[in-house]
Amino acid sequence: MSDLDPRTKIVSILCLSTLAVFLNEPWPLLLLFVFTLLILLFLRINFFRITMRFKKLLPLLLLMLIIQSIFTAGGEVLISFHDINILTSNGINSALCILFRLLTLFSSAMIIMTSSSKDYVLALTQLKIPYEIAFMVLVALRFLPIFIEEIKDTLVAIQLRGVDLQRIPWRHKIKFYTRFLAPLLSRVMLKAHQLAITMEARAFRVYRRRTYLRLLQYSVADYVVMVFFAIATIVVLARDFLY
Amino acid sequence: MFSANGFILRVLSVKRGWLMAYIELENVTFCYPGQSRPVLRDINLSIYKEGVTAITGANGSGKTTFSKLLIGILTPTKGWIKLNGQLLTSLTLAQIGRRIGYVFQNPGKQLFCETVEEEIAFGVRNLGLGLSTDQVAQKVRMVLDYFELTRYAQVYPLSLSAGEKRRLAIAAVFVLEPDLLLLDEPTTGLDPYRKKLLGDYLDKVIAAKRGVVIISHDQKFISRYATRLIKLQEGQFVEE
Repeated sequence: MSDLDPRTKIVSILCLSTLAVFLNEPWPLLLLFVFTLLILLFLRINFFRITMRFKKLLPLLLLMLIIQSIFTAGGEVLISFHDINILTSNGINSALCILFRLLTLFSSAMIIMTSSSKDYVLALTQLKIPYEIAFMVLVALRFLPIFIEEIKDTLVAIQLRGVDLQRIPWRHKIKFYTRFLAPLLSRVMLKAHQLAITMEARAFRVYRRRTYLRLLQYSVADYVVMVFFAIATIVVLARDFLY
Repeated sequence: MFSANGFILRVLSVKRGWLMAYIELENVTFCYPGQSRPVLRDINLSIYKEGVTAITGANGSGKTTFSKLLIGILTPTKGWIKLNGQLLTSLTLAQIGRRIGYVFQNPGKQLFCETVEEEIAFGVRNLGLGLSTDQVAQKVRMVLDYFELTRYAQVYPLSLSAGEKRRLAIAAVFVLEPDLLLLDEPTTGLDPYRKKLLGDYLDKVIAAKRGVVIISHDQKFISRYATRLIKLQEGQFVEE
């Protein structure tokens, strides 16, 4: 599947994320997530290794799930305090739906890693999206690691000047985070501005019409995969809406 | 070429047991994740809290990686680093920052305050040096003055020129008076006059029994101020 056309991959990601957004039951969402994991396994992408990089976000996710399960009313009451229902079956359903939805969205986006960024620019332009916009999408994707690097550097600089971010109370921590946010954004915007100048200095958008040495072409496998994903999405959504 | 006095002093001091290594590296190997070839291999080195130790090497030889290991931003893949007898891994970045003042290769990355004055005062206030507000203000004024940054005191640090940003980054670390200064390419973007100012300050730092480690390509500056020269070649150090 890693040899598939990037456009086919874009279609498959769109189908998977559409299903993840529209399905509203934990079991179908779990099945969708498992199916996405199988695709990743097929593509030799280690989902768990990549997810571990985001382990710091886990408490946030957990908090969201707890809030969701507490504030969704209805269904069988599982835990109550006097007249207040703390945990209901609908609450748990809702939390599970959110968990599997987020996991599916996150894992389906990993499919994008199997083609080079140049291929995606080609794919988007061949999908009649203006080259400038396609290129901007690519630059935005490349900018993310730079942004993360900037955050890391600033945190290191703050700590090296005596602020023990791991040990100070949360309210102070938030104060420091808000303090460095403005210079951080300023630095990133400055970089974006410099990048724009560099691009223009290297003749970006000089000619209205661009030509490409290589053109992407669909193979039989691409058609099979695209048709499968399109039909499966329509069938699942229709079934979900009708019943 | 290098200060003979400094060298003789160091040899004598080590022989007489006067000096304890401030930073010790034992069999340090470092390899970036996902790469098979280590950037640094089996490094054994002692850095003292005296004189100017210069580290040179070709582009991509691992000089900046080495400085990041010394400051605890990176952790060795193999071996250990001790700072004043304590394992570096047992210290937080803030604790390391109290002892080693680090100036990044790209100083813009370590500026995060709203004004130049605040940038210099930030560390002094946070390190709990036991100074009153007036004393902090006085110290900040003195450093601003020394680095000729007074007229930029209320300016947004990121709007300064590259050379001014470097001066500010150095000033913001110098004001903390750390035991050891670690400067990554400190002379880049500085004009000859300000290079001399930096050198004069290094002399003051050394006179105050503090150490300096410079990572630089600036041969002229190194030959003028370094008391010890270490060259990084193919992931290993060669002392010259």
